[in-house]
Amino acid sequence: MKINRKQIIGSTVGILGLIIPFFLNINGLSEAGHVTLGVFFLAAAFWMLEPVPIYATSMLVIFLQVVLLSKEGLFFHSVTDSYTPDSYTAFIGTLANPIIILFLGGFILADAAVKYSLDRNITRILLKPFGTSPKFIVLGLMVVTAVLSGFMSNTATTAMMMTVILPIIARVKNNDPLRIGLALSIPFAANIGGIATPIGTPPNAVVLGALNQQGITIAFGEWMVLAVPLVVVALLMAWFILTQMFKAQTDHVEIDMSGRFNTSKNAILLYVVFGITVLLWITEKAHGMKSAIIALIPVVFLTMTKVITKDDIRKLPWEVLWLVAGGLSLGISMKSTGLAEWIIGSISWSSFGPLLIIIMFGSVCLLIANFLSHTVTATLIVPLAVSLATSGLATEGFDLVIVSIVIGISASLAMMLPISTPPNAIAMSTGTIETSQMAKAGITIGLLSLVLVILNAVFYWPIIL
Amino acid sequence: MQKGFLLNSRVDILKFINKVISDTPDLQKLVVSFNEKEVLFKQGENLPYLYLLLEGGVKLNRENDDGSSLDILTLEPGHFVGLVSFNTGNDSLTTAVALKPIKALRFSQDDFDEYLNNHPRLRHPMQQLMMSNMTDRLMGNVQLESKMHALNQKLEDEGEQLKIAYSKLEDSQQKLVHQEKMATLGELVAGFAHEVNNPAAALLRSSEMLKENFLDLPSGDPRSRIFEIGLNSSPLSSEMVRKRMLEVQKKFPYVKERSIIRKLAQIPEEGHEVIIDQRKKTPIEILVQQFEAGKFIHNIKVASERIANLVKSLKSYSRQDNNEAEMIDLRDGINDTILILSHRLKYLDMEVKMDEIPKTCARLGELNQVWTNILVNACDVLPDGGKLKIRTKTEGEYKIVVSISDNGPGIPDDVLPRIFEPNFTTKNQGAQFGLGLGLAISNEIIRHHGGFIRASNRENGGAKFEIILPVKNC
Amino acid sequence: MDHEIYILIVEDELEVMDAIVNDLSEFEDHFPIETANTAEEAQSVVDQIYHANNEVGLILCDHVLPGKNGVDFLIELQSHDLARNSKKVLVTGQAGLEDTIQAINKARLDHYIAKPWTKEQLDSVVKEQLTNYVIDRKYNPMEFMAILDSVKLAESMRANPLTDN
Repeated sequence: MKINRKQIIGSTVGILGLIIPFFLNINGLSEAGHVTLGVFFLAAAFWMLEPVPIYATSMLVIFLQVVLLSKEGLFFHSVTDSYTPDSYTAFIGTLANPIIILFLGGFILADAAVKYSLDRNITRILLKPFGTSPKFIVLGLMVVTAVLSGFMSNTATTAMMMTVILPIIARVKNNDPLRIGLALSIPFAANIGGIATPIGTPPNAVVLGALNQQGITIAFGEWMVLAVPLVVVALLMAWFILTQMFKAQTDHVEIDMSGRFNTSKNAILLYVVFGITVLLWITEKAHGMKSAIIALIPVVFLTMTKVITKDDIRKLPWEVLWLVAGGLSLGISMKSTGLAEWIIGSISWSSFGPLLIIIMFGSVCLLIANFLSHTVTATLIVPLAVSLATSGLATEGFDLVIVSIVIGISASLAMMLPISTPPNAIAMSTGTIETSQMAKAGITIGLLSLVLVILNAVFYWPIIL
Repeated sequence: MQKGFLLNSRVDILKFINKVISDTPDLQKLVVSFNEKEVLFKQGENLPYLYLLLEGGVKLNRENDDGSSLDILTLEPGHFVGLVSFNTGNDSLTTAVALKPIKALRFSQDDFDEYLNNHPRLRHPMQQLMMSNMTDRLMGNVQLESKMHALNQKLEDEGEQLKIAYSKLEDSQQKLVHQEKMATLGELVAGFAHEVNNPAAALLRSSEMLKENFLDLPSGDPRSRIFEIGLNSSPLSSEMVRKRMLEVQKKFPYVKERSIIRKLAQIPEEGHEVIIDQRKKTPIEILVQQFEAGKFIHNIKVASERIANLVKSLKSYSRQDNNEAEMIDLRDGINDTILILSHRLKYLDMEVKMDEIPKTCARLGELNQVWTNILVNACDVLPDGGKLKIRTKTEGEYKIVVSISDNGPGIPDDVLPRIFEPNFTTKNQGAQFGLGLGLAISNEIIRHHGGFIRASNRENGGAKFEIILPVKNC
Repeated sequence: MDHEIYILIVEDELEVMDAIVNDLSEFEDHFPIETANTAEEAQSVVDQIYHANNEVGLILCDHVLPGKNGVDFLIELQSHDLARNSKKVLVTGQAGLEDTIQAINKARLDHYIAKPWTKEQLDSVVKEQLTNYVIDRKYNPMEFMAILDSVKLAESMRANPLTDN
């Protein structure tokens, strides 16, 4: 393993960050708060500079909390005035947080969909009505990508869609801007589409998990009611911008997608389970069964029927679940040790109106998420919003739920650079686009979408919530 | 009676007996006569009588098991007929047929005993006649024996000759097949050569014209200079390229692409000077490209020349139809053969040292077969990387010696004396190169040329073939 | 990638080697090319490459070589701990049926190119084999999308659960 400079700096900063608070005596911060500050510094440094993989940092965070901060750990065995230590089960229990289970259900569904080519067949069917004009082909591709990425990971959706568009790109003339438009449409649509459902992308999980810890639950369908209109408008806007920026020279594009639905017993079983699960998720309000419970339906039935085998289970992206759990776990300490409150307390919030707070959180999140992982961004910022809400420091009119959703969605909108999201990296790797082109389109779409988010947060979401 | 002989002649005795018959009525009763072709007795009969032939002749013949009939004896007056069977009591071995009308005395067993032992006048003549009959038969037997021996001898000789003729026939049939093969090959090669020579010529000409087109730049232009350097450079071995790539990386630290570094490594020093000289003026890629163009044209030229040479060699190698003796340099044929066999010789460590030798009168195509046979044999026995040496030299003024030696397992002692015998092979009869009939034919070809071939084992292992040919004019 | 994936070409005729190398030069910036004129040299080049912690992704090997022949060399590589994973292509104008069968059975030959080749043919074979190599070795497909078979690489990403993070 080669160690580069960034990794050395990351490790050093992280370890110093962990140790230094032990030697400080910050007024108004409990002893446990000092320790948590150290863990927070370490996690932030490690997540940002990535001396170790980000999921490994999450595992480290849980470990450090269990050892340093839990009731059964090294230091805090009894309740004091300033800190009521949680049992270690609270930290490791984040791995079974309802949002984690919801994601597990989503993973299993997505995995089975890929295994039986449901994703490809849905693409084939959905693309048909969009004809052969390049403009509408791009729209069709974006719609399909967004729909799929609502239920599958954005990255997997992008990879699949690449197999659809790469042959088109190969047929289009070399200097036709349509190539760039096509290559960018997929990752952008995937990023936007991920916002649509709770299981669309991990930042949604971070937000929902954090709210869950506060006793606030947002139903699957409710999230969709909040997010889908935004997604539709953002998607149309992105489509308009891309087709204007990269005007196609050709006026006719053929998509060659042949294939038929897999009609094996297993595949049909999958279609049924997929349909039932999504239907139950959307109609949570009507029957009242929690989405995490519904998520167990595909888990149980697809494994029992061997639609999903042992090997498939092994291949699931478990590290994402650890990543989210690590964030949730950090949130517990930040709140219980008063660290979050202390950080929040250092800013005088009263001078900010609720709108300004939303704009601020949204822009900071969008900016940071362009350089960091979306999930990590949400993980680092959501606890601040939670503390702000619970500390009572915020101005009147501050709504924790809305701010949290703004944070989660803004993180998903960060798609300026190839490193911003894995879908961007995939599109970039095809060699059809240049970073500047991606940045230009990504910034425009990201900023305009942020405006949309803020408009939603001010005018639409309060009506629903 | 004649003196000096123990026995009186059969004719004399018969005369005497005839006289006794005319005197003795008892005896006259015993006289019988048979007509021509009448049978006295048959083969397999038990004979109650013994005949003494007085006039005419009797033939004894015997029927064999396969039904054929064999003449055994012809009996004349004075001979007993049925003697063997009568005396032994066995069935008759033969059938007795009258050749012409005969008269004979017919004795029953009792009569015969009486006359032979007790008759005062006939006793002696009968006994003498008996003896004479016996002697005749014995003599006949001896003659027969020696005749049979002579016959056997003759038979054996003829068989031997047949064998030789057969092997000669087989030999010449193989040779015919071989000649046919070579003739077909010759035709094939002639057609092939024509077909290949045309595109090869086109290639060669095109490369020349391409060269002129490229050189159509103002003189002194660095591009044409580096192009010319390219034209005159040959590709380097991979090891050399690796070494030079390291040097190039030091020399041109600003070049990052490995493909360009590789190309620079192939450019000789003088080319590098041009490139360094032009650093500010002409982009390095253009100069490298120009060099590559020159090199590729060079490669085309080299490759098409190789094709042309190969075709030429193949043509002269397989020149069987035109098998006239002419003044040739043996080394041309050896070189052709080496080229033709290069796909096999490639695996060997070859050392070819051919001294200047005078031309001699020979049939090129035939000699090529000799080289092929020996070289293919060497390839068969040598492991990859085995050593093969080919030498030509003159011995005195009138002899050319071609020696081909290897460091292989050598020729086993029991094989060495027979190695030039026809049909002698130590390898499995199978699809070998298909042009050689083995060393026998080589031997014959060399002998036809008035030379000789010898095989030996070298002291330090390996076989050595030496071909000695006379220098002569056609 | 923290190390290089090499293309190794084994060919004894220098002009032919030159032609192959030039046909593949557009791969060279991503997959450095190494060359060898004999099987023995190739063996030592392979060892050097692995010694420097790099690897051989593809071997293009002539059959008729001085000394050890190409098929035997490829068969021997099968017992090499690391190079056995390399994709193996026989490029030859002359290999008997026997040799070819041997190469397929014992050296796990991945492809056979008959001389003379065309650039398109060589390109597509090299692309395909390197794509397979990268997928087999589970390297990040994104690093190779621009130069190799992007559809196949994207497909491999689809099949392996990819996640956002």
